[in-house]
Amino acid sequence: MQKKKQDQQSTARIFVRNLLHNPSAVIGLTIISIMILCAVFAVQIAGVEPDYIDPIEGRQGPSWDHLMGTDQLGRDMLSRVLSGGRQSIYVGVIASFLANLIGTVLGATAGYLGGKIDAVVMRVSELVMTFPQLILVLIFVSLLGQGINNVIIVFALTGWMTTFRLVRGEFFSLREEAFVEADRAFGFSKPRIIFRHILPNTMSPIVVAFTINIAIFIIAEAGLSFLGLGVPVTTPTWGNLLTAAQNPVVVDEYWWLWVFPAMSIAIFVLGVNFVGDGLRDVLDPRHKSLIAKNKWKVVLVGRLGRKK
Amino acid sequence: MAFTISALIFFASRLSPIDPINAMVPPDMASDSANLEQLREELGLNDHIILQYLTWLKNIATGEFGYSLQSGQKISEILALRMPATLELVLSALVLSTILALTLGLFAGAKKGGIADKLSRILGVVGIAIPDFFIGLVLLNLFAFRVEWLPTGNRVAPGQVTFWDRFPNLILPVATLTIAMLAVLIRYTRNSVLDTLNRDFVKTARSKGVPEWRVLYSHVFRNSLGPVMVLLAFRLPLLVGGSILVETVFQWPGIGTTIIAAVTASDYPVIMVVSMIIAMVILVASFLVDIIKSILDPRVRLGGGN
Repeated sequence: MQKKKQDQQSTARIFVRNLLHNPSAVIGLTIISIMILCAVFAVQIAGVEPDYIDPIEGRQGPSWDHLMGTDQLGRDMLSRVLSGGRQSIYVGVIASFLANLIGTVLGATAGYLGGKIDAVVMRVSELVMTFPQLILVLIFVSLLGQGINNVIIVFALTGWMTTFRLVRGEFFSLREEAFVEADRAFGFSKPRIIFRHILPNTMSPIVVAFTINIAIFIIAEAGLSFLGLGVPVTTPTWGNLLTAAQNPVVVDEYWWLWVFPAMSIAIFVLGVNFVGDGLRDVLDPRHKSLIAKNKWKVVLVGRLGRKK
Repeated sequence: MAFTISALIFFASRLSPIDPINAMVPPDMASDSANLEQLREELGLNDHIILQYLTWLKNIATGEFGYSLQSGQKISEILALRMPATLELVLSALVLSTILALTLGLFAGAKKGGIADKLSRILGVVGIAIPDFFIGLVLLNLFAFRVEWLPTGNRVAPGQVTFWDRFPNLILPVATLTIAMLAVLIRYTRNSVLDTLNRDFVKTARSKGVPEWRVLYSHVFRNSLGPVMVLLAFRLPLLVGGSILVETVFQWPGIGTTIIAAVTASDYPVIMVVSMIIAMVILVASFLVDIIKSILDPRVRLGGGN
């Protein structure tokens, strides 16, 4: 029992160390943490509430007083962009978590059971996947109505397929493994085999899909809100700030109103994708990584250490 | 399959809390409940829901798409007006992005670490991170407002008759869509080329002394087309659905802007017909994928190889 715990600890340590040695993961993590911190302390950094209206200072370009300028009501764009990150990141993370949950449960069940259930779920996933995502989201939004929670639900319902496919694929190969056969021989129930024994082995694709989905959903939120159909306009999100660019005059003359929110989206998504790439390198043994080499080193060092 | 989708679309639209009658009748006429009831009866809204579904299905199948709640226009007329615009935009972008992605992807894969490889990797990473409408906004700001070389939107300006007259209007939207589509496609092509290069038959060809350009063209290129073609076939639904965001940025009068207008106005008949058409194209596309796979790879012939 103690040995098992030790093993687990050391794999976790190897994982963290490999991740910290992976350049793209480090860059990505740095970007993401800085941006999350900025979003949390938006008001302190900008010095103004995002909703503070100052009619005299309306539509000013970037200056030392307002690093990102002000909008038509004189609200400080720096404060709005930074705090807009809160809602955008929140939507992305929660929706990605829910989508992953749906995808994992469906993928695990379909992959383990196979047969008719698998065929049906597979067909559905193909259909949802090929339907242009934004149109599907719009149809759902028109049925459910606007609102931040509805946006999250819609994203989860339209974005579970990547995870589903990955998990299903893993289950297809894992269900033939000896330990699963042993489980069956012991007479364990199906849910127990699926979720307690096989599922932990498929964690790496799930984690990678989680990061990729965050990136996709943040971009989707931006598009949806840009069209004015996402999160209600009263809460600033990166996408809602971009709505200003529906007006040609804004595109022409007040570039700071849309360039800064869009850049924030791009940089954050870039960071998330970097982390995703890094995680894939570290977690997936098929992509050449340090983990195999280091595992030996640790085992060796551990043995030698014990002898002394 | 087609029936399942049509049923889903139909019943989902009935789930919505909006009563079609309220949307059709102006508020001052709505006070007369006898009139409303008569209209309901005439439109068949009092029939059993299964019967309503079957009528709707029959109408769709015979090309009777019904009327838009918003404008009262025939939906088939709206589609006939809007579809060419979307086709023009998406088809040009699809063709352009495919040609560019295949060339760049082939060179990138063939010479790892070369200029094409670096370029395509930067494009792949950055292109995925930037929302496509932002590319459109930047192009709009630079080329339409700053230097005023190109028009700021719309498909046709008054007085433009021939295709070449309105060609400038097409450039920015197509460029935006092409760049947006390029990123994923290049990544796909590059990875597929790299995979193929590692296969045994490439080594055989090289050891036979086949010139490198021929190895690349007739051995590697053709064999790495498979996954790329599949991705392309999955993009076919865009031809009828259009790119909502790009069309909105450039005020392009296509299907995408029609969908947006329909969704904001809860114009259900239009949403239902458009999503039905898209679903049909998807079915055709997935059928095409199977055919493409069997043409490119004789091992997966339909029917399991007799």
